[in-house]
Amino acid sequence: MHLLTSAGSPPLAPPHELPASARPARGRVAARPFTLAHSVPPLAWQLAFFLGPLLFLVVLSFWSVRNFRIEPAFEPANWLRMLAQAHVWETYARTFGYASLATVVATVLAFPAAFAIAFRLGANARRVCLFLLVIPFFTSYLVRVYAWQVFLSDQGVINAILGMLGVPPQRLLNTPLATLVGYLTLSLPLVVLIQAMSLTLVDRRLVEAASNLGCGPVRTVFAVIVPAARVGIVVGALFCFIFSFGDFVAPLYLGGGAAPTLPILIVDTTKAGQQWPRAAVLALLMIATLMIVAWAMTAYAYRRRA
Amino acid sequence: MTPSHPASNRRRVLRAIAGAGLAAPMLATRALSQTAPTELTMLAWHGHAEKDVVAEFEARHNVRIRPKYYVGGDNMLALISQSPPGTYDLIQADAEYVQQLVAAGQVEQLQPRDYPFDDFFPEFHRFPGHWVGDKLYSVMVRFGFLGVAYNTLAVSEAQARSYKVYADPRFAGRVGHFDWHLPSIGQVSLLEGNKLPFDLAPERWKHVQQRLLAMRRNVGGFFDYGGTFASLRNGQMVLMAGIGDWITGVLEKNGAPVRTMLPEEGGLQWTESFSIGKGSRRQDLARAFIQYITSPGGQVRSAMMQAYPALIPNRKGWDLLVAQHPQEARRQRMEPGKPNVMDDIRGKRVTLRALPTRQSLEDWSDFWSRYKNA
Amino acid sequence: MKARPALAALLKAYVVLVLLFLFAPLGASLVFSFNSDRFPTLPLGSFTLEWYRAVLSDELVRESLAHTARVSVLSATLSTLLGFAAAYTDYRHEFLGKRFYLALGLLPPTVPAIILGLAMLAYLSRLGLAGSWVAIVIAHTVICTPFAMALARLRLSQVDRSLEAAAWNLGAAPWAALRHVILPFCAPTLLGAWLLTMAVSFDEFAIAWFVGGLHETLPVRVLGFLQGQVSPRINAIGTLVFAVSIALVAVAQSVLARRLSLRRPRTPAAPQPKTLP
Repeated sequence: MHLLTSAGSPPLAPPHELPASARPARGRVAARPFTLAHSVPPLAWQLAFFLGPLLFLVVLSFWSVRNFRIEPAFEPANWLRMLAQAHVWETYARTFGYASLATVVATVLAFPAAFAIAFRLGANARRVCLFLLVIPFFTSYLVRVYAWQVFLSDQGVINAILGMLGVPPQRLLNTPLATLVGYLTLSLPLVVLIQAMSLTLVDRRLVEAASNLGCGPVRTVFAVIVPAARVGIVVGALFCFIFSFGDFVAPLYLGGGAAPTLPILIVDTTKAGQQWPRAAVLALLMIATLMIVAWAMTAYAYRRRA
Repeated sequence: MTPSHPASNRRRVLRAIAGAGLAAPMLATRALSQTAPTELTMLAWHGHAEKDVVAEFEARHNVRIRPKYYVGGDNMLALISQSPPGTYDLIQADAEYVQQLVAAGQVEQLQPRDYPFDDFFPEFHRFPGHWVGDKLYSVMVRFGFLGVAYNTLAVSEAQARSYKVYADPRFAGRVGHFDWHLPSIGQVSLLEGNKLPFDLAPERWKHVQQRLLAMRRNVGGFFDYGGTFASLRNGQMVLMAGIGDWITGVLEKNGAPVRTMLPEEGGLQWTESFSIGKGSRRQDLARAFIQYITSPGGQVRSAMMQAYPALIPNRKGWDLLVAQHPQEARRQRMEPGKPNVMDDIRGKRVTLRALPTRQSLEDWSDFWSRYKNA
Repeated sequence: MKARPALAALLKAYVVLVLLFLFAPLGASLVFSFNSDRFPTLPLGSFTLEWYRAVLSDELVRESLAHTARVSVLSATLSTLLGFAAAYTDYRHEFLGKRFYLALGLLPPTVPAIILGLAMLAYLSRLGLAGSWVAIVIAHTVICTPFAMALARLRLSQVDRSLEAAAWNLGAAPWAALRHVILPFCAPTLLGAWLLTMAVSFDEFAIAWFVGGLHETLPVRVLGFLQGQVSPRINAIGTLVFAVSIALVAVAQSVLARRLSLRRPRTPAAPQPKTLP
């Protein structure tokens, strides 16, 4: 009888009312075989195969290149040289700007679609939509970007349609707009999926309650649904930022490389006579930026409700 | 679940047919080969191990060539420096990279008497960069010229006669660069009147940079191999700096209105060669391949390579090309009796593309990045 | 919320628009894979199957497809297992260094692929693993685990904690509680994570180029085509992969639908308290 009452706490109760055994254990993790079995393997794997190469990257950034051969050394000159150049920071700012823009645009464009999928479609239609959204993941991103050129070029499909409407041909390819289209091609499926997943998990009773209390539909969306799905929306946005920040295919093939981003700069640096150490400097700069953004956004996403 | 539903039967049959269809070519090849062919690995630009070039060699020696195609010599150097020695039997590289390969100890020394240098034009007997003193490390296989690549419908021949056309405001936004600093900077260096475009005194280097920055606003984009093809083909770009017939030749053969012209300031020459990888376990076979590709028959195949065409250094190759493919010999100007590309070389209308001598490669690369950002 | 028909229709049209945006390039690729012209421009040339013939008879393409399939299935399985284990650890425990633990798990996508590729090549070659498909599996698992972990964590954040606690209180061992309470709840997400990580690995070309050496995966081959040859073979490969993946996902979806319909729908609702005697 006691057992049943202790398990009978309603799900919407704040966490601190849960019995002690259900709360996450604080302090040191008990070294039980079960705990070790699920906590150690991921750690060991990532330490060995992710941290290892990463630390090597840091070491590499101090090496020097003599006679086109990378040689172990300790040369802070790589860091000083790369960070002192104005065009590196211009490129950095541009990359950050493009990625942020892509993130905002993707999040905003994805939301109505995710909302429709989660709230307005029947179960069958929803399944079909999710199915269709997953497909792009299994197709080559390179092929899709390559195919966009057919649409965006001066003699492409979009300009042909515009021509039929009497609009003069617009320069669409080799522009930042084309780069943005590329970023969206890369990230939009994932953002819509994550948002849709997150929205389907929103407790419908909250929505009902809001409407019963007299909230209009728009207010319900922004005051109730969005905060409830905050985790999903922010995680989707984070993925979009990371992908866009690190992608070199879109700015190169659709943007024409005329407005270079950091990944392009990294590739270019490696073409400068085996300068992988200097490229490593840029890469570490990118990693640091993405780490900070990821930490900030996940902290915001998983922030406990007051 | 239901045993013989007509739809599922149909599906099963269709799947069987599809499976058989996919398996058929595999079964055919397996039936034909008696002993398993030896494998020869090759590190090269795309196209060097395709059937149109190597099928004859593969059949004759019962060999299968397994290529690893790279894009850009730097990727190639990085890959080879981190791979175990002997991974690649054959290495195909541009002349500038051969020097780096030799310095890094990645290629075997070769014996000149193994190769038909006597059949080569005298200008190619001792190609700089392939030799270190008297030691041979790489055999020249093909070469080509870089000039003004232009769309014949948009740019007139008269306009294309000078690199100045890159800065012509009439073509604003429709001038592209092949995304590699060496040839583009080299072309502008020639425009500035430097007879040795890669050997620049500091003052001249500054002028070359200024000249480039002044034309930056005309530039529509920086393209890699695929992007260059696409942009020229769909007319997005009407001028492309830093390339030559190796790209426009392919487009021309596909009916596109593009051409490369050697301008009055002069052109650049690129050169490709083959080496044997250090520690290769099939050096005899690798040597046989290089002999094949430098023989008249191999040279003709090289000149006609589908991936990108080239000029060939073997005189007997020229004769065979005229006999077998007279139209292509005429198009590429490799006809012995008539004005041909060797006249261009002898008349000093082309200089070799090379690494910069008085600045470091990093300096040039950093400038290139600044130029892109401008 | 009252559903207004006009707004609902507009929203549905919007979904169609988004799907069109995502599928337009695939459609174009499909069309051009049958086009006789070597370069994709309008107007179209004539209909031809030669690119498909070229691709299907190309030994290297078939080999790379086999490699890709093997690598992506293995990477996906490993990543889903490791990702779920890490997410579960995050969900269950607080401990010193948890931030670091999570960071290790979530950071790999932040490293640009080309640099990670070179770093892994250098690192793995010192371990004697470079140039083999094992190396690609290792590298792909590293970059795919964060996706599995994020998805699993997302789903776990929806679990009612009292369910697992109830299981323990009723005497279940932690393994059993995991198996019978948490895993069924997470199963659809785990399948989704498996498919997603398989997709990520399937299309990954930068790291695979470096680490795989001569054992090329299909995207590496496509990259090679794109950068070295520019032929409609790219479109032919793209369309074939597209067809195979539609089939794959359709199978997965139907399996999933059947599984879900066999169970009573689970909602995180409170168990009805019994009246005490």
